Amino acid sequence: MANKQQGSATAEQAGSRTQRRRTVTPYLLIAPALIYLAMFFAYPMFQGLMLAIFDDDAALVLVDEPSLNGREVERLTQGTRLNILARQGNLLADESDATDLLTEQWFLVSGEGTSGTDVSGWAAESRVRVRDEAADGTPLGGTIRPRLGAGADEATPLFAEANETSEVVAEIEQRVPVTIDDIAILEVWFQVEASDAAGKAVGWAPSRFVEIFDDEETGRVDEGSVGEFTTGFISKMFNDSFFSDAWRTTLLLMLLILPAQFVLAMLMALVIDARLKFGSGFLYIFTLPMGMSDLAVGILFFSIFTGNGLLNSVLESVGILDGPKTFLSADTIPWIIFAIVLAELWRATSIVMVIIVSGLQAIPRETLEAAELFGAGYWQRVRHIMLPLLLPSIQVALILRTILAFQVFAVVIALSGGDIVTVLANETFRQYFEFRNNNVASAYALFILLLSMASAFFYLRAVRAQTEVAST
Amino acid sequence: MTATDLPPLDSPEVASLHRNMRRRNLRGRLFTYGAAIVIALWILVPIFFVFSMAFTTEDTVRSYPKNFLPLIPFSTETMSFFLQSEGVLRGLVNSLIVAVVTLVLSTVIAVPAGYAIARYLFPGRDLFRLAVLAVRAFPIVVLSIPLAVLFLRVGLFDSVLSLALMHTALALPTTILVVSSVFASVPYELEEAGQVFGATPLQSFRYIVTPLVLPGIAASGLFTFVLSWNEVFAASVLTLENRTLPALVLTSLSNSSDAFQFAGGFFLMVPSIIFMFFIRRYLFNMWGQVSK
Repeated sequence: MANKQQGSATAEQAGSRTQRRRTVTPYLLIAPALIYLAMFFAYPMFQGLMLAIFDDDAALVLVDEPSLNGREVERLTQGTRLNILARQGNLLADESDATDLLTEQWFLVSGEGTSGTDVSGWAAESRVRVRDEAADGTPLGGTIRPRLGAGADEATPLFAEANETSEVVAEIEQRVPVTIDDIAILEVWFQVEASDAAGKAVGWAPSRFVEIFDDEETGRVDEGSVGEFTTGFISKMFNDSFFSDAWRTTLLLMLLILPAQFVLAMLMALVIDARLKFGSGFLYIFTLPMGMSDLAVGILFFSIFTGNGLLNSVLESVGILDGPKTFLSADTIPWIIFAIVLAELWRATSIVMVIIVSGLQAIPRETLEAAELFGAGYWQRVRHIMLPLLLPSIQVALILRTILAFQVFAVVIALSGGDIVTVLANETFRQYFEFRNNNVASAYALFILLLSMASAFFYLRAVRAQTEVAST
Repeated sequence: MTATDLPPLDSPEVASLHRNMRRRNLRGRLFTYGAAIVIALWILVPIFFVFSMAFTTEDTVRSYPKNFLPLIPFSTETMSFFLQSEGVLRGLVNSLIVAVVTLVLSTVIAVPAGYAIARYLFPGRDLFRLAVLAVRAFPIVVLSIPLAVLFLRVGLFDSVLSLALMHTALALPTTILVVSSVFASVPYELEEAGQVFGATPLQSFRYIVTPLVLPGIAASGLFTFVLSWNEVFAASVLTLENRTLPALVLTSLSNSSDAFQFAGGFFLMVPSIIFMFFIRRYLFNMWGQVSK
């Protein structure tokens, strides 16, 4: 805390660099960035978290009456077998994107009622035979359908609302011509019970959540109506057959790559820091891989390690091999790992180097000259002065590289096809792309995020502890 | 210890000390050059090889063993085969559009924010910087899936625009930090001096600050361009028909010829080979700033 205040105090002394007047201007200036990051970073981040731990349609709520206001009587999980007890049309709550709806139409009809006067009321589609349609198919008129079978009611009831539970306003004889004044589309609701708990809890549910089997008497819960927090996706990820491979390979690659990478980066940084002739040229060459996509680098190393590639050609012309050796196949997984390690070393060392070089540039020349005067050799200066002073830079580079290492993706696909050797990011992609399972894909992504955060935290603690040891 | 205790400067001890130091220096220099050349070769040889595979005949790509250095016959056959393959031209156009939109969008949003960080001390400044740094460190993978779901819901899925929005979110933090370090390198006194001589704040920004920061902002823009051009994970997740070039190459890896892959791989490297030349000096600016 004290440090921070000091820092800003020096900023003020250094002076006019910063305006000290209180204004809203800086807030206006950062507002676009804040809004953008909130929209396209924070919000999707939150959504991603929810995807991994929240099941959008975990359970179907059964209510005591066929209405959206019904009281909840039971929750059934997806896939529960159902006995269908009754069905009834009901007003469509929303005509949004719901699929698998069973609907029925109701007509507002008017004609001569049993009482001899003109009456008007709602009747189900099944009670009206449409005989007159507008050009676009809208029914305009028809007759009341005769009811067949013994004991059938002679008259058809008309309801006050498009609902069988509403009040009967009139009755109308069969075959009476009627005009159709209005149409209502109703969703069918089913009264169901779970078939393994028959008679226990009976309730109503809209058709969109229920799949009816051919016998019309049984069915199953096809989709839930309410979401629930669940660890299901996460345990599905852990039980995924690729998971342990992916996780072990990611870790192995990191352990193989990071140490070598930091040694190489340190060497490169010392070379750049030595200010050679053509130093700017060397800098250009050393930083070339930094701007290259992991995919391109993967292909580049594929071109070297593939059967008729550079490596075999060189080895054969030198006389080490008699014929081409296959490096990238299921039988030669260590070679694939080796190729991936080389590719990642080639590609991602530059960024570490750049961070270390900018750390080196911050070391006062006087310190190094003083050490030289007292007889410290070059490697002694590197070991006892540069390295300790570079710790903060190395910490940043370590955090950055570890986070990137969890995301290794295209290099692995280019060198192994993504099946023989797999990593966590590849499994995220596979779940999304091949299995179309956004939730498990998000669980993988969440796992990567947690690993990244944990390792960042670990480095922050570890390197700080080290500086404390060094300073005592 | 006083000066008289030291051996005189022309004494044999001092001379031999100097000789030793020079010799050690010379050996050190030679060693450094050797290391520099070895590392340079380690980076250049693979690039050269994939370059020669990208510009040769398809027969050579298939041939074995190859006369590796430097005798691979030059031809534009593989490259033109790649460029004429189905979808490549469209992918190239998509990639360019995404990269340019990302560049423009992230620069337009980042410049004011970077200026605010560099020029104003305001409550919340450190918090904002920290938040930006934290965003920078987040894994891309985590963001792609929910964004895909989100874009699917609002009907923006599989469009070049949706990918540009995502890339902007990725590039924005770095761009803000770099731009702020560029602004910080221009002393505020210069702006003030302009105002002393009668320029309005806007004029002194336009005529004094802008020319000084333009190269730095251009460098960060180029970096953003390269970032977007290279990005393959989000591109593969967020697009289906409207593939960008990297996404196209990635998804056709399993069913394309070596010639296609090598030419495509090299083609993807070209912008970075060109742009790194211009931005290499600014790299330390960028990462020095970020690591503070």
